[in-house]
Amino acid sequence: MEHYPEELRTPPVTLVCIVGHQDLHATISTHLHSEQPPINTLALPDFSKISVIDKSPKEKENQLPSAYTSSGILKRDWLLKHRTRVPAVVAALFDADQLSGDAAQWLQVCTDLENLKTVARGRNIKLVVVIVVRFNSKDSITEERMVALRKRAEVDAKYVITFIPDDTSELNQSLNRLGNIFGELAVTFYRDEGRRVKTRLEKKNYGSIEFNVRYCFKVAIYAEFRRDWAEALRMYEDGYHALREYVLRIQFELQMIGTSTRLPAIQRLVEIKMVAELFHFKISTLLLHGGKIVEAIKWFRQHNASYKKLTGPTQVNFLHWEWLSRQFLVFAELLETTSATISSSALTVADRTSSDWEFHPAYYYQLAAQFLKEKKACVEISVSVTPIEADEGCDSIVPSLYVGQFARLLDLGETSVMQLITDEEYTLFALISEGKRLGDSTEIIALLKKANEAYDNFKSQRAASFCRLLMAKEYFLTSDYTNSKHHFDKLTSLYRQEGWVTLLWEVLGYLRECSRKLGSAQDFVSYSLEMAALPISPISSRQELKDCGPAGSPSLKHVESIHKEVFAVVREETLNDEEENMDGIKVNSDHPLHLEIDLVSPLRVVLLTSVAFHEQIVKPHAPTLITLSLLSQLPSPVEIDQLEIQFNQSECNFIIVNAQRRESSSISNIHPDRRVETVPVIQLFTNKWLRLTYDIKSVNSGKLECTYVIARIGPHFSICCGAESPANMNDLPLWKFEERFEASPTKDPAIAFSGMKVTQVEEPDPQVDLILGSAGPALVGENFMLPVTLTSKGHSVESGELKINLVDTKGVGLLSPREAEHSSSSDNLFVELLGVLCGPTQDNNDNIRKVQQSFGLVSVPFLNVGDSWSCNLEIQWHRPKPIMLYISLGYSPSSGAPKVHIHKSLQIEGKTPVVISHRLMLPFRRDPLLLSRLKRSPESGQAVSLPVNETSILVVNATNCTEVPLRLLSMSISEDEVTPKSKTKTTCTIQSGIDSDPSLLVPGEEFKKVFTVKPELNVSKLNLGCVCLRWRRDHESSKEVVTKQSLPDVNLEFPPLIITLECPPHGVLGEPFTYFARIQNQTKLLQEVKFSLSDSQSFVLSGPHNDTTFVLPLSEYILSYKLVPLSSGSLQLPRVTITSVRYSAGFQPTTAASTIFIFPSKPQFQSEPGKKFSPADQAPQQIPA
Amino acid sequence: MIVCIAVVGHQNNPLYIQSFTEADDALKLHHIVHCSLDVVDERVNNPKKSGPMLNETFLGLLYPTENYKVYGYLTNTKVKFILVTTDLDVRDADVRNFFRRFHSAYLDAVSNPFHVPGKKITSKTFAERVTNIVKSVSFHTTG
Repeated sequence: MEHYPEELRTPPVTLVCIVGHQDLHATISTHLHSEQPPINTLALPDFSKISVIDKSPKEKENQLPSAYTSSGILKRDWLLKHRTRVPAVVAALFDADQLSGDAAQWLQVCTDLENLKTVARGRNIKLVVVIVVRFNSKDSITEERMVALRKRAEVDAKYVITFIPDDTSELNQSLNRLGNIFGELAVTFYRDEGRRVKTRLEKKNYGSIEFNVRYCFKVAIYAEFRRDWAEALRMYEDGYHALREYVLRIQFELQMIGTSTRLPAIQRLVEIKMVAELFHFKISTLLLHGGKIVEAIKWFRQHNASYKKLTGPTQVNFLHWEWLSRQFLVFAELLETTSATISSSALTVADRTSSDWEFHPAYYYQLAAQFLKEKKACVEISVSVTPIEADEGCDSIVPSLYVGQFARLLDLGETSVMQLITDEEYTLFALISEGKRLGDSTEIIALLKKANEAYDNFKSQRAASFCRLLMAKEYFLTSDYTNSKHHFDKLTSLYRQEGWVTLLWEVLGYLRECSRKLGSAQDFVSYSLEMAALPISPISSRQELKDCGPAGSPSLKHVESIHKEVFAVVREETLNDEEENMDGIKVNSDHPLHLEIDLVSPLRVVLLTSVAFHEQIVKPHAPTLITLSLLSQLPSPVEIDQLEIQFNQSECNFIIVNAQRRESSSISNIHPDRRVETVPVIQLFTNKWLRLTYDIKSVNSGKLECTYVIARIGPHFSICCGAESPANMNDLPLWKFEERFEASPTKDPAIAFSGMKVTQVEEPDPQVDLILGSAGPALVGENFMLPVTLTSKGHSVESGELKINLVDTKGVGLLSPREAEHSSSSDNLFVELLGVLCGPTQDNNDNIRKVQQSFGLVSVPFLNVGDSWSCNLEIQWHRPKPIMLYISLGYSPSSGAPKVHIHKSLQIEGKTPVVISHRLMLPFRRDPLLLSRLKRSPESGQAVSLPVNETSILVVNATNCTEVPLRLLSMSISEDEVTPKSKTKTTCTIQSGIDSDPSLLVPGEEFKKVFTVKPELNVSKLNLGCVCLRWRRDHESSKEVVTKQSLPDVNLEFPPLIITLECPPHGVLGEPFTYFARIQNQTKLLQEVKFSLSDSQSFVLSGPHNDTTFVLPLSEYILSYKLVPLSSGSLQLPRVTITSVRYSAGFQPTTAASTIFIFPSKPQFQSEPGKKFSPADQAPQQIPA
Repeated sequence: MIVCIAVVGHQNNPLYIQSFTEADDALKLHHIVHCSLDVVDERVNNPKKSGPMLNETFLGLLYPTENYKVYGYLTNTKVKFILVTTDLDVRDADVRNFFRRFHSAYLDAVSNPFHVPGKKITSKTFAERVTNIVKSVSFHTTG
């Protein structure tokens, strides 16, 4: 667009002129410029300068022959004239003083006005008279002066206005007034002018078709001046069509008559195209600014179709292509500026006939570049045909008066004259000016770059790539190989990825040529190798592709020649015919060449290496097999001199040497310790795996991985290939789309499927015994000792470390899940590792020793072969629980050697040693009435009730439930320290006398101890404390363990009634004895008691049988019976049944309580004969009811 | 005249490309086919622009170059057919018809049990059949 002059590119702006009163010009022009629409101001300082806008003066110069004058279509400077020199309105500024002043001043005003009128009338310019008045003297001008002025100026009253500059609000008003009047008058002016020209058009009042076009243009421009875009567009279109008609007529004339009437043919064509371009530019701009993109594109298509064929004679073809290119470029630029403002969403309505691409500037940029290329070619042809000699005549050729015309400027002293030139002269001129211009290549590249970027933004990567390709080719043509290579390089990845072999072939061919030109052996060799290994299928080579650049058509023949050439270079052989091309490309001792091929390299097709270990796990120093497979897609067999296989453990590296090429391979630089294998020949055939299997011994344990395979070809060329595992080998790029036989890299299909380039080398077998002495189940509470013994059998143990881990057998860990939430105090642990007791021999200072609750780390001292070492683990169980003990020993057989590990585990049960149970009993034949027992069945209750102030009996049992004998040291009831109520007094007296003598409990045996409990305070709950059992294993060394178990709380109750049965411990047949039932009322209430006695056959009895009686408060009632036994043996006493009416509680003594043994005769007791129980002594007092 | 016909696979890789031109511009045709894949991509990825054609295999005119017209066709298995013709005024129906015939030829070619899906089509029979179809079709210009 920059080719066009400014006045064409921007919409025309109204021009007004102000004369006189220079001090106000800046204010007025600034204001007018900021008007909407803006108005440009031509400010003339005084009236003497008025002639600039006059019609007459300038058309004198550059006179052309009269025949010529009328033969142009558009005058070059007509628009500029109207935009800068011919105002629509002229405003004359007069000072009020001048009007009201003396006659001389008035005369001056009249003269000035007169001159102005003359000038204005010649161009129909509208006149405005402005009187500048001071704010103070607003009314100083007399009415008759105003009328006189108006008459002089011959304008309407409203076009004579006052202007007050020295008051802000008044100034604004004046400016606005001025602006409005200017706007109004300008519109009138341009309308009138337009109408004038249009009338001529309508009346067909013009001499030739050129005028038709010119008039259309003028009307359109006038319409544009008054912003009537629709009219302007219509007139431009009319003009365009008229021009088209003109073209057709000329063509017709040429065909019919063979001559043209006016201008020579070439120049006329140039002029027409120039004008057409101008019209088209205006139309496109208007359409696009109006948002009619679809119409604009249609219009452009039509424009292109109309003029594309008008190439003109061959020698000036290039002018046509340049013109065409410019059409596309300008349209692209227009489209670009428009699409920046109009969002692309407005384009969704695109009709199906036009492609989406036509909406993108990139498309036009690309075509502009294409045509410019065409032009470049034509220029070259024309230059070769027409010899250019420097002709001074051409220097004087300048653009003439009309758009698109050129003429010779003849300097005739004072004046100069335009002279017509012939077509030959013009052609020469065009060619010479072409030579002076900057190279087209730069322009083509710039256009392509724009297209490339635009396509990229539009995410059309392939089209963008195509532009880049054209760009790179252009660089190549201009011998800019660095840039060319840069761009070609960027292209390769897309074509590789999508497998467009032919396109890739072309690009690589260029790249190869660029690297040859740049002398880069590395690039040359790698591009050549890649090209040689491309899949050139017979299908694509069947069709000859001609324009493939320097590499020629992709065919097997070419591929092979490239292969031969590159291997000649790397083998440093000389090919005579290629000698001169290869000057920069040398591989020798000064320039050794090293190529690297990794997983993503395009050169994988050249050499693919797959390495597979036959075993996934190997023992150290044990041989294992490794298969090395090589594949190449190069068209001819490749012989490799030497292969070096590298591992991550460099001791394993080895070299395979081709026996036939032993002398050429650079074996001298090989490490002398390296293993060298020799094979008769290493030769790779196209698409055929070369498989080599060797055994290999690993030295160190850990990972053994094959990293690289280096192939050496020739003395100074090597290819370093990253080794790949056959199990996860990717397809070969490009070749994966080909139908080819795909063999597996190894013969064994299992290895081909799962083989890896890495293997795991195990640790050497440990030669140390780790023995865990198991001592049966552990008992809860004790410090369980577990001996661990290390015995070295073949290795000395250095920097050994013992790791101890206690793990729940369920694998949950040693904390119960709920307790784990709390802080892990030792109470929460079920099992705890307390410590490790090592043998007394070593000092503990340098031992690393770390013991945690379930984890321990102990260092092992140095052990020689045959030595042993042991330690004891001290573990305590808090709960019965099986755990898993893991012990692992890590050591080095010798200093610095890798560690060897031994793992042992042992499951240990934790068992409860003793089960403690207890029983509470009431004293014999004494039964307090416990009301809580009445309410429920005797056995179901959880909490046991004890009568207050009565002695009860507590029996504690301890049963050994282990499988080992335990020695019981003592059993006691200690007050529970948890209970804060120390005032609760419990009297406990130990009755058994086994304290002194620890009893041995064999497995399953039960130990009982009896305590008496007498609650003395009336509290509802009584804490009995806890049983404290001290025991140890029946073993000399075992330690004493205290097991505690707290007893459950008991309820206390106040018994209202207590019934005591009294009876001698035994009787003698026939001897009477007394039997009492004592009913004790502890309440302050009178208790009604019923009783009855059932007869017994074994006794004769006397006493009350059946009655109801009352027991007085806090007293007792005694039922007394006299019994005479009638038989001997264990006999049932007559049963007394007592019922308390108040509590509706019945009492019947238990069978045990009412059984008595009767001796047949009086027994003779040896021990204490004097102390004989006599029930009669204790005869209770009879309490009257 | 049809100057080039191409079958393009899932990775936008050419499965089959044949040009029917005596001139030296076969490679240029390859480029045109390759560039037109951009349009196919755009059509497929932005189906809303081409609303009613959602289930249509025929993609229509892809790419107007100066001297050629490029048409596209997308099979159910997302294999693309690209046609380049020098006839600048072609009826869609004719192109559709051509593609239909070409599609059936393609189906027969890939139904060959020795053909591996995703690999290039090397069948000579297919090539001959395509040549016959191309020769038999002439797009009648309407204008």
